[in-house]
Amino acid sequence: MAALLVLCTNTPSMHAQQTEKAEAPAPPVVDLTRGVSFEVSPHTGYMGGSGTFGLRFSMNYGAFNFEIAGEQVIGQTANLYPIFVNAVLNLSTKGNLIPYGTVGGGLMLTTPTNTIGDETVSTLGVSFGGGARYYLTEIFGLRLEGKQYITSVQSERDQNDELLFFQEISLGVTFLFN
Amino acid sequence: MFERVSIRLVLSIMMAAAMISVSANAQGYHQNSLTLSVGAYAASGFGTNPYAGVRYNYILPDDRFFVEGSIGFSSLKSDVLETISRSQVFPSNDLYTYEFVLAYDAHPTGYVPYILAGVAGINQGGQTSFAGVLGLGKRMPLANFLGSDQLGLRYDIRDQVFSQQINNADPFLAHNITFTLGLQFYF
Repeated sequence: MAALLVLCTNTPSMHAQQTEKAEAPAPPVVDLTRGVSFEVSPHTGYMGGSGTFGLRFSMNYGAFNFEIAGEQVIGQTANLYPIFVNAVLNLSTKGNLIPYGTVGGGLMLTTPTNTIGDETVSTLGVSFGGGARYYLTEIFGLRLEGKQYITSVQSERDQNDELLFFQEISLGVTFLFN
Repeated sequence: MFERVSIRLVLSIMMAAAMISVSANAQGYHQNSLTLSVGAYAASGFGTNPYAGVRYNYILPDDRFFVEGSIGFSSLKSDVLETISRSQVFPSNDLYTYEFVLAYDAHPTGYVPYILAGVAGINQGGQTSFAGVLGLGKRMPLANFLGSDQLGLRYDIRDQVFSQQINNADPFLAHNITFTLGLQFYF
Protein backbone atom coordinates (compact mmCIF):
# COMPACT_ATOMS: atom_id res chain seq x y z
CA MET A 1 0.00 0.00 0.00
CA ALA A 2 2.80 2.36 0.97
CA ALA A 3 4.68 1.48 -2.21
CA LEU A 4 1.59 2.22 -4.31
CA LEU A 5 1.19 5.57 -2.56
CA VAL A 6 4.83 6.47 -3.27
CA LEU A 7 4.43 5.44 -6.92
CA CYS A 8 1.31 7.57 -7.32
CA THR A 9 2.92 10.62 -5.78
CA ASN A 10 6.09 10.24 -7.86
CA THR A 11 4.45 9.61 -11.22
CA PRO A 12 3.39 13.21 -12.02
CA SER A 13 6.82 14.64 -11.30
CA MET A 14 8.49 11.98 -13.51
CA HIS A 15 6.09 12.88 -16.30
CA ALA A 16 6.92 16.51 -15.80
CA GLN A 17 10.65 15.78 -16.04
CA GLN A 18 10.18 13.79 -19.25
CA THR A 19 8.06 16.56 -20.73
CA GLU A 20 10.69 19.15 -19.83
CA LYS A 21 13.38 17.04 -21.48
CA ALA A 22 11.28 16.50 -24.60
CA GLU A 23 10.47 20.18 -24.91
CA ALA A 24 14.07 21.39 -24.59
CA PRO A 25 14.58 23.47 -27.74
CA ALA A 26 17.30 22.41 -30.16
CA PRO A 27 20.01 25.02 -30.65
CA PRO A 28 19.47 27.11 -33.79
CA VAL A 29 21.46 26.12 -36.87
CA VAL A 30 22.73 29.67 -37.14
CA ASP A 31 22.90 32.26 -34.38
CA LEU A 32 24.15 35.64 -35.57
CA THR A 33 24.10 37.07 -32.04
CA ARG A 34 27.07 34.94 -30.95
CA GLY A 35 29.60 37.45 -32.22
CA VAL A 36 30.93 38.79 -35.47
CA SER A 37 30.89 36.37 -38.39
CA PHE A 38 31.85 36.58 -42.03
CA GLU A 39 30.08 35.41 -45.15
CA VAL A 40 31.14 34.76 -48.72
CA SER A 41 28.29 34.48 -51.20
CA PRO A 42 28.82 33.63 -54.87
CA HIS A 43 25.67 33.99 -56.92
CA THR A 44 24.18 34.07 -60.36
CA GLY A 45 21.08 35.77 -61.62
CA TYR A 46 19.25 37.85 -64.16
CA MET A 47 19.27 41.61 -64.64
CA GLY A 48 17.45 43.45 -67.40
CA GLY A 49 17.57 40.53 -69.83
CA SER A 50 21.19 39.59 -69.13
CA GLY A 51 22.80 36.89 -67.06
CA THR A 52 24.88 37.84 -64.05
CA PHE A 53 27.68 36.44 -61.89
CA GLY A 54 28.73 37.96 -58.62
CA LEU A 55 30.41 37.66 -55.27
CA ARG A 56 29.49 39.26 -51.94
CA PHE A 57 31.64 39.55 -48.82
CA SER A 58 29.86 40.50 -45.63
CA MET A 59 30.53 41.01 -41.96
CA ASN A 60 27.65 40.06 -39.69
CA TYR A 61 27.01 42.08 -36.53
CA GLY A 62 23.82 40.38 -35.37
CA ALA A 63 20.92 42.18 -36.97
CA PHE A 64 23.20 44.28 -39.18
CA ASN A 65 25.54 43.22 -42.01
CA PHE A 66 28.12 45.32 -43.77
CA GLU A 67 28.63 44.02 -47.30
CA ILE A 68 30.86 44.57 -50.32
CA ALA A 69 29.52 43.19 -53.59
CA GLY A 70 30.86 42.91 -57.12
CA GLU A 71 29.07 41.58 -60.16
CA GLN A 72 29.41 40.99 -63.86
CA VAL A 73 26.30 41.54 -65.97
CA ILE A 74 26.91 39.94 -69.36
CA GLY A 75 25.27 41.98 -72.13
CA GLN A 76 25.22 41.61 -75.92
CA THR A 77 27.41 44.63 -76.63
CA ALA A 78 28.76 45.54 -73.21
CA ASN A 79 29.37 44.16 -69.76
CA LEU A 80 28.18 46.00 -66.66
CA TYR A 81 30.15 45.74 -63.42
CA PRO A 82 28.26 47.08 -60.38
CA ILE A 83 30.60 47.43 -57.39
CA PHE A 84 28.55 48.26 -54.33
CA VAL A 85 28.74 48.69 -50.58
CA ASN A 86 25.54 47.52 -48.90
CA ALA A 87 23.93 47.76 -45.48
CA VAL A 88 21.82 44.71 -44.70
CA LEU A 89 19.18 44.53 -41.96
CA ASN A 90 18.53 40.95 -40.86
CA LEU A 91 14.89 40.49 -39.89
CA SER A 92 15.84 37.42 -37.87
CA THR A 93 19.13 36.47 -36.21
CA LYS A 94 18.56 32.83 -35.28
CA GLY A 95 17.40 29.72 -37.05
CA ASN A 96 17.59 28.36 -40.57
CA LEU A 97 15.80 31.15 -42.36
CA ILE A 98 17.04 34.74 -42.20
CA PRO A 99 15.09 37.24 -44.30
CA TYR A 100 16.65 40.64 -44.80
CA GLY A 101 16.37 44.02 -46.43
CA THR A 102 19.28 45.79 -48.10
CA VAL A 103 20.28 49.26 -49.31
CA GLY A 104 23.52 50.24 -50.94
CA GLY A 105 25.48 52.51 -53.20
CA GLY A 106 28.44 52.30 -55.49
CA LEU A 107 29.87 52.43 -58.96
CA MET A 108 28.41 50.94 -62.13
CA LEU A 109 31.10 50.37 -64.74
CA THR A 110 29.97 49.74 -68.32
CA THR A 111 32.61 48.13 -70.55
CA PRO A 112 31.93 47.66 -74.29
CA THR A 113 32.93 44.21 -75.56
CA ASN A 114 32.62 44.29 -79.33
CA THR A 115 33.49 47.85 -80.28
CA ILE A 116 37.01 49.18 -80.66
CA GLY A 117 37.96 52.49 -79.10
CA ASP A 118 35.02 52.86 -76.70
CA GLU A 119 36.07 53.34 -73.11
CA THR A 120 34.63 52.18 -69.84
CA VAL A 121 31.88 54.49 -68.55
CA SER A 122 31.37 54.76 -64.81
CA THR A 123 28.28 56.13 -63.09
CA LEU A 124 27.14 56.32 -59.50
CA GLY A 125 24.20 54.19 -58.48
CA VAL A 126 22.05 53.19 -55.55
CA SER A 127 20.20 49.98 -54.88
CA PHE A 128 17.59 48.58 -52.54
CA GLY A 129 15.85 45.28 -52.17
CA GLY A 130 15.44 42.23 -50.03
CA GLY A 131 15.97 38.55 -49.84
CA ALA A 132 16.48 35.57 -47.61
CA ARG A 133 19.26 33.22 -46.59
CA TYR A 134 18.34 29.63 -45.76
CA TYR A 135 21.08 27.73 -43.93
CA LEU A 136 21.24 23.98 -44.55
CA THR A 137 24.18 23.54 -42.17
CA GLU A 138 26.08 25.77 -39.72
CA ILE A 139 28.32 27.07 -42.48
CA PHE A 140 26.40 26.59 -45.73
CA GLY A 141 23.17 28.02 -47.03
CA LEU A 142 21.21 29.21 -50.04
CA ARG A 143 20.58 32.87 -50.76
CA LEU A 144 17.82 34.43 -52.86
CA GLU A 145 17.70 38.18 -53.46
CA GLY A 146 15.69 40.71 -55.45
CA LYS A 147 17.08 44.19 -55.98
CA GLN A 148 16.35 47.45 -57.76
CA TYR A 149 19.29 49.44 -59.13
CA ILE A 150 19.01 53.13 -60.00
CA THR A 151 21.65 55.11 -61.82
CA SER A 152 21.87 58.35 -63.75
CA VAL A 153 23.49 58.66 -67.18
CA GLN A 154 23.97 61.68 -69.40
CA SER A 155 22.04 61.50 -72.68
CA GLU A 156 24.21 62.01 -75.77
CA ARG A 157 21.36 63.75 -77.61
CA ASP A 158 20.43 66.58 -75.27
CA GLN A 159 23.11 66.23 -72.53
CA ASN A 160 20.39 65.83 -69.91
CA ASP A 161 20.65 63.33 -67.09
CA GLU A 162 18.42 60.30 -67.43
CA LEU A 163 17.51 57.92 -64.65
CA LEU A 164 17.93 54.24 -65.49
CA PHE A 165 16.30 51.45 -63.52
CA PHE A 166 17.43 47.83 -63.47
CA GLN A 167 15.81 44.95 -61.64
CA GLU A 168 17.86 41.98 -60.58
CA ILE A 169 16.96 38.60 -59.19
CA SER A 170 19.81 36.44 -57.96
CA LEU A 171 20.25 32.98 -56.50
CA GLY A 172 23.39 31.70 -54.89
CA VAL A 173 25.01 29.98 -51.97
CA THR A 174 26.57 31.42 -48.86
CA PHE A 175 29.44 30.24 -46.66
CA LEU A 176 29.44 31.42 -43.04
CA PHE A 177 32.65 31.69 -41.01
CA ASN A 178 32.71 32.51 -37.32
CA MET B 1 37.72 5.94 -87.34
CA PHE B 2 39.07 8.53 -84.90
CA GLU B 3 35.60 9.05 -83.49
CA ARG B 4 35.16 5.29 -82.88
CA VAL B 5 38.47 5.11 -81.03
CA SER B 6 37.58 8.20 -79.02
CA ILE B 7 34.20 6.79 -78.03
CA ARG B 8 35.78 3.45 -77.04
CA LEU B 9 38.45 5.27 -75.03
CA VAL B 10 35.88 7.40 -73.20
CA LEU B 11 33.68 4.38 -72.47
CA SER B 12 36.69 2.40 -71.21
CA ILE B 13 37.71 5.24 -68.91
CA MET B 14 34.16 5.57 -67.59
CA MET B 15 33.88 1.82 -66.89
CA ALA B 16 37.29 1.65 -65.24
CA ALA B 17 36.45 4.70 -63.19
CA ALA B 18 33.16 3.20 -62.05
CA MET B 19 34.92 -0.04 -61.03
CA ILE B 20 37.53 1.87 -59.03
CA SER B 21 34.75 3.81 -57.37
CA VAL B 22 32.87 0.69 -56.32
CA SER B 23 35.96 -1.16 -55.12
CA ALA B 24 37.20 1.76 -53.07
CA ASN B 25 36.24 1.74 -49.44
CA ALA B 26 33.97 4.48 -48.27
CA GLN B 27 36.06 7.44 -47.17
CA GLY B 28 35.31 9.61 -44.22
CA TYR B 29 33.05 12.55 -44.98
CA HIS B 30 34.92 15.61 -46.20
CA GLN B 31 33.11 18.90 -46.71
CA ASN B 32 35.39 20.42 -49.32
CA SER B 33 37.48 19.39 -52.27
CA LEU B 34 39.77 20.96 -54.83
CA THR B 35 40.26 19.34 -58.23
CA LEU B 36 42.89 19.90 -60.86
CA SER B 37 41.32 18.96 -64.19
CA VAL B 38 42.78 18.51 -67.64
CA GLY B 39 41.07 17.44 -70.81
CA ALA B 40 39.63 18.63 -74.08
CA TYR B 41 37.39 21.59 -74.88
CA ALA B 42 35.39 21.48 -78.12
CA ALA B 43 34.28 25.02 -78.94
CA SER B 44 31.39 25.04 -81.37
CA GLY B 45 32.76 25.91 -84.82
CA PHE B 46 36.39 26.14 -83.69
CA GLY B 47 37.49 22.57 -83.12
CA THR B 48 38.93 20.89 -80.05
CA ASN B 49 41.79 22.19 -77.90
CA PRO B 50 43.41 21.21 -74.60
CA TYR B 51 41.70 22.40 -71.43
CA ALA B 52 42.94 22.86 -67.87
CA GLY B 53 41.03 24.03 -64.85
CA VAL B 54 40.46 24.10 -61.11
CA ARG B 55 37.22 23.09 -59.41
CA TYR B 56 36.15 23.79 -55.82
CA ASN B 57 33.38 21.62 -54.38
CA TYR B 58 31.37 22.02 -51.21
CA ILE B 59 29.78 18.67 -50.39
CA LEU B 60 26.58 18.58 -48.37
CA PRO B 61 26.48 16.22 -45.37
CA ASP B 62 24.50 13.45 -47.08
CA ASP B 63 27.25 13.23 -49.76
CA ARG B 64 24.65 13.28 -52.56
CA PHE B 65 24.54 16.99 -53.37
CA PHE B 66 27.48 19.26 -53.96
CA VAL B 67 27.93 22.77 -55.31
CA GLU B 68 30.88 23.71 -57.45
CA GLY B 69 32.68 26.82 -58.59
CA SER B 70 35.29 26.36 -61.27
CA ILE B 71 37.49 28.19 -63.70
CA GLY B 72 39.11 26.71 -66.79
CA PHE B 73 41.33 27.78 -69.65
CA SER B 74 41.48 26.67 -73.26
CA SER B 75 41.88 28.11 -76.74
CA LEU B 76 39.91 28.93 -79.89
CA LYS B 77 42.80 27.88 -82.13
CA SER B 78 41.48 26.37 -85.33
CA ASP B 79 43.72 24.94 -88.05
CA VAL B 80 40.89 25.22 -90.56
CA LEU B 81 40.34 28.93 -89.94
CA GLU B 82 44.07 29.70 -89.84
CA THR B 83 45.28 27.70 -92.85
CA ILE B 84 42.32 27.58 -95.22
CA SER B 85 40.17 30.64 -94.65
CA ARG B 86 43.00 32.64 -93.04
CA SER B 87 40.62 34.46 -90.78
CA GLN B 88 40.24 35.16 -87.08
CA VAL B 89 36.77 35.55 -85.65
CA PHE B 90 37.67 37.05 -82.28
CA PRO B 91 40.44 39.53 -81.42
CA SER B 92 42.40 36.71 -79.76
CA ASN B 93 42.29 32.93 -79.43
CA ASP B 94 42.19 33.01 -75.63
CA LEU B 95 39.26 31.28 -74.00
CA TYR B 96 38.36 30.92 -70.35
CA THR B 97 35.19 29.83 -68.61
CA TYR B 98 33.85 30.02 -65.09
CA GLU B 99 30.99 27.89 -63.82
CA PHE B 100 28.62 27.57 -60.87
CA VAL B 101 26.83 24.24 -60.80
CA LEU B 102 24.73 22.08 -58.50
CA ALA B 103 25.30 18.33 -58.76
CA TYR B 104 23.29 15.35 -57.57
CA ASP B 105 25.10 12.08 -56.98
CA ALA B 106 22.43 9.43 -56.37
CA HIS B 107 25.00 6.67 -55.72
CA PRO B 108 28.30 8.15 -54.53
CA THR B 109 29.93 4.68 -54.30
CA GLY B 110 28.05 3.05 -57.18
CA TYR B 111 28.31 2.91 -60.94
CA VAL B 112 25.77 5.62 -61.69
CA PRO B 113 27.34 8.97 -62.55
CA TYR B 114 26.24 12.21 -60.97
CA ILE B 115 24.29 14.76 -62.94
CA LEU B 116 24.68 18.50 -62.74
CA ALA B 117 23.19 21.74 -63.95
CA GLY B 118 24.27 25.34 -63.62
CA VAL B 119 25.47 28.46 -65.36
CA ALA B 120 28.72 29.57 -66.93
CA GLY B 121 30.46 32.62 -68.25
CA ILE B 122 32.43 31.95 -71.43
CA ASN B 123 34.99 34.52 -72.47
CA GLN B 124 35.98 33.98 -76.10
CA GLY B 125 38.68 36.33 -77.24
CA GLY B 126 37.42 39.09 -74.95
CA GLN B 127 33.70 38.64 -75.60
CA THR B 128 31.71 37.12 -72.77
CA SER B 129 28.60 34.96 -73.12
CA PHE B 130 26.23 33.69 -70.47
CA ALA B 131 25.64 29.96 -70.80
CA GLY B 132 23.63 27.17 -69.26
CA VAL B 133 25.53 24.05 -68.24
CA LEU B 134 24.41 20.42 -68.22
CA GLY B 135 26.66 17.52 -67.50
CA LEU B 136 27.54 14.30 -65.78
CA GLY B 137 30.55 12.80 -64.11
CA LYS B 138 31.85 10.47 -61.46
CA ARG B 139 33.88 10.90 -58.32
CA MET B 140 36.19 8.03 -57.48
CA PRO B 141 37.69 8.18 -53.99
CA LEU B 142 41.06 6.45 -53.73
CA ALA B 143 40.93 4.85 -50.31
CA ASN B 144 44.34 4.54 -48.61
CA PHE B 145 46.12 5.62 -51.77
CA LEU B 146 49.63 6.74 -50.80
CA GLY B 147 48.52 6.37 -47.21
CA SER B 148 45.85 9.03 -47.56
CA ASP B 149 42.07 8.98 -47.67
CA GLN B 150 41.93 12.50 -49.12
CA LEU B 151 42.64 11.77 -52.78
CA GLY B 152 40.32 10.82 -55.58
CA LEU B 153 39.88 10.79 -59.33
CA ARG B 154 36.95 12.15 -61.28
CA TYR B 155 35.79 12.66 -64.80
CA ASP B 156 33.36 15.27 -66.10
CA ILE B 157 31.50 15.71 -69.37
CA ARG B 158 29.77 19.05 -69.75
CA ASP B 159 27.77 20.88 -72.36
CA GLN B 160 27.80 24.68 -72.21
CA VAL B 161 24.81 25.95 -74.18
CA PHE B 162 24.68 29.60 -75.18
CA SER B 163 23.59 32.01 -77.89
CA GLN B 164 26.50 32.76 -80.21
CA GLN B 165 26.63 35.69 -82.60
CA ILE B 166 29.57 36.08 -84.99
CA ASN B 167 30.17 39.08 -87.25
CA ASN B 168 26.63 40.44 -86.84
CA ALA B 169 25.14 37.31 -88.40
CA ASP B 170 22.00 35.79 -86.92
CA PRO B 171 22.63 34.34 -83.48
CA PHE B 172 22.59 30.57 -83.16
CA LEU B 173 22.62 28.10 -80.29
CA ALA B 174 26.15 26.90 -79.66
CA HIS B 175 27.22 23.83 -77.70
CA ASN B 176 30.72 23.83 -76.25
CA ILE B 177 31.60 20.37 -74.94
CA THR B 178 34.18 19.70 -72.24
CA PHE B 179 35.65 16.36 -71.22
CA THR B 180 38.04 16.36 -68.28
CA LEU B 181 39.84 13.99 -65.97
CA GLY B 182 40.77 15.33 -62.57
CA LEU B 183 42.75 14.66 -59.44
CA GLN B 184 40.59 15.54 -56.46
CA PHE B 185 41.89 16.50 -53.03
CA TYR B 186 39.37 16.31 -50.16
CA PHE B 187 39.74 18.37 -47.03
